[in-house]
Amino acid sequence: MLNILIIGNGQCGNRILDAINRESFGKKSRFAKFYSQQKYKSNVQTIAINTAINDLKEMSFTKAKDRIHIPHLHGVGANRNVGKNVFEENKSHIMRQIQERGDFDVCFVLTSASGGTGSSFSPMLIKELKEKGDYPVYAVVVLPFREEGTLYLQNAAFCLRDIRESGVDGIILADNQFLKQMGGNVESAYNGINDMIARRLLFLLDALDSEMMMVTDLGDFKTVMSGGAGIATIGFYEADTGMPVKNAIREALSPSGLLFSTDVYKEASRSMVIIRGDRESLSIDEISEEVEKLSSSVGHVFKGIVVRKDEHPQVLAVLTLESASELENLYAIAVDAINYERQKKERVETQKDVDRAFSQIDGLDPSY
Amino acid sequence: MFRNRKMLIIMSFILLFSLLSIGSASGKILFNSTIQQGDGYQINNYVIDVTEVFTSQDAVTLRIYKGESDNDDYVYDPFLSVDSSYEFDIEDEDVEITLIDVYSGVVPQVKLLITVSDDDFINSKTEGIVDGGHSEAVFSGTPVLKISKSVDKNTVGVGDIVRVTVTVENTGDDDAEDVIFSDPFQPKFILIDDILGTPGRMDIASDDPTKKVYLYDLKATEAGTFSLSPATASFSNSVGESFPQASSNSPTVLVEASKDLVTADLDVDLEFDSYTVNRKDEIEATVRIKNLGSASANAVNIGILIPEGLEYAGGDSVIEVISGEPTIYLDSFGAQQEKEINFKLKVMEIGTYTIKTESSYLFDDGVNTQKQEVSSDSVSNAIYVAEGEYDYLFEQPIYVYLIPLIIIGAVAGWIIHRHKQYKF
Repeated sequence: MLNILIIGNGQCGNRILDAINRESFGKKSRFAKFYSQQKYKSNVQTIAINTAINDLKEMSFTKAKDRIHIPHLHGVGANRNVGKNVFEENKSHIMRQIQERGDFDVCFVLTSASGGTGSSFSPMLIKELKEKGDYPVYAVVVLPFREEGTLYLQNAAFCLRDIRESGVDGIILADNQFLKQMGGNVESAYNGINDMIARRLLFLLDALDSEMMMVTDLGDFKTVMSGGAGIATIGFYEADTGMPVKNAIREALSPSGLLFSTDVYKEASRSMVIIRGDRESLSIDEISEEVEKLSSSVGHVFKGIVVRKDEHPQVLAVLTLESASELENLYAIAVDAINYERQKKERVETQKDVDRAFSQIDGLDPSY
Repeated sequence: MFRNRKMLIIMSFILLFSLLSIGSASGKILFNSTIQQGDGYQINNYVIDVTEVFTSQDAVTLRIYKGESDNDDYVYDPFLSVDSSYEFDIEDEDVEITLIDVYSGVVPQVKLLITVSDDDFINSKTEGIVDGGHSEAVFSGTPVLKISKSVDKNTVGVGDIVRVTVTVENTGDDDAEDVIFSDPFQPKFILIDDILGTPGRMDIASDDPTKKVYLYDLKATEAGTFSLSPATASFSNSVGESFPQASSNSPTVLVEASKDLVTADLDVDLEFDSYTVNRKDEIEATVRIKNLGSASANAVNIGILIPEGLEYAGGDSVIEVISGEPTIYLDSFGAQQEKEINFKLKVMEIGTYTIKTESSYLFDDGVNTQKQEVSSDSVSNAIYVAEGEYDYLFEQPIYVYLIPLIIIGAVAGWIIHRHKQYKF
């Protein structure tokens, strides 16, 4: 049994973590925690960290003892510098809480790249985890909508760079901009994205600790994640009744199944494909055909098959990327945002229009 | 000689026996003593006067008078010599007078032996020597009081006045003395005016005219035919002899119901919206009060006696619970007025119940000075209480309740535990 640590940082990380805990009950009901048990195959420890207490209070499926509040007003206000200072001040407290949970085989850090607490805490936390622990740490990073604002864009750019430089063993990207194709209002879109990420991670955790017809394990996952540019994404698809498994594999690798926009056949470096379902629906020929097709482009594909009676075929693909054109696009926009923010600040400092306005009444007193 | 003496003794005894036989032949000895000339001896209404004593002739002239009489108006005048007798009868009893002896002196005397065949008829108060003879004798008579009670009207209406007159007349031959009248209270009538007042002790001579002793007015209070109670009188005659009480007649008065008499007649009825209910149900009760009479009822008090197994569950504001008993109190309830008062009962136990109401009220009938009080009871129809819809739940073995409670408790405990686990 694997010992797995999942840390949700900031509002986004907290929500994805809560979605994972909710999904682990296997029920959709909000009351599932009262009548059901979490069905983790591994020893999974979840920890939510936030400076905003309200975000922690909103969590429903994460135990209170697993929520760590770092007191700093009500958040860091999307200012990564403030966030870094707060983390530095509370680092020992956070690490003590984590270390009290024991030793782990793998750790996932869930965070948004654009926010305050998550984007500033996560790189430093990963660095601490890597220094204090002897287990791989993977970051699941959610990229912002492009129109969310310049601050978020520049946060995302610097956060992603900081995480990459923190010693992380891999970054799994999920892009809100790409996933908003799901439609619906903002709340349902966020909830839907969180659920998608949660479901893929749970599938991955379940697969890593399951007996398989064809084996993929944590070692394979590490190998996959160590390939390429250290950036990965996950594709997933659950087939309907009667759908051939090959179609399910194709859908998992298509843009509709991925968390990040990429052409896996062009940009993927290594891959792991895990297929789960009823024995009758898992055609080895079809699976082999599709895997071979992917491996001919990617190079190496780890293949795992989990047999579950009466389940429709479900396919999870972990893909590391050697290039990511979409990420380049993001950074191009982020650079514009950074320049815009800098120019705006300089303008305020040099022109001092408001100061000039006030200076007009220097030396005068009100007369009544 | 000896033979002659013996014969003499025998003859003496025979003579003595003969004398004794003669003496006892008249019966009981009433008088055996001396009486002076001019005096008399009274036996009831008869007086035997010693008119003249002839000492030289050992004789006497007697005159026997009956009642008050003149000197010459005697009944008998026997002339008796010593040892001679005269016999006459008084009230069918034989009276024998024997002159025993005569005595000379300033006032001559005689010794008389008076015997009667039976002395039962003799009044001791009019028996004995009368000084001065018959003219001084006091004779006793029999007063007869005739008491008449009359009314001025024999037919009246309720509330009408009847004047009652009681008169008395002595139709006897003697005065009635120490007459004490009595006229008892008359039920169903009220004494309105006692005009003459209560008569005191009085004497009524035999020759007195008819005298009014009572005069009063009565007010009829109730319809019906009533005989007035007789007035009575106790009395004695002139010698103090008591006589049986005299009574008057009893006039009859017919009292007809008057138009002016009014009554209040409350009809209290208790009804329910349902007479077959389940346990724990509530039933709506309605008390219907109707004054069928022509007078207002006051101080109307209706107590609702709720049996065990039923429970009063509130009602209209006129109902007050006094000592656990719902009570309706109405200060006044007009003639022909109707009212409905509602209340609720909760059925607690299975069974059959009837509810009793006890009513009381006062009313002014327009005749009597005091208000009339009326009390009555009524009983509702039976209410049948069956088993409640969920009663079977309480008839199960204890484990039927215990197991779910344990499960519920465990679930609740688990929920609380979970809630604490996840409450931040």
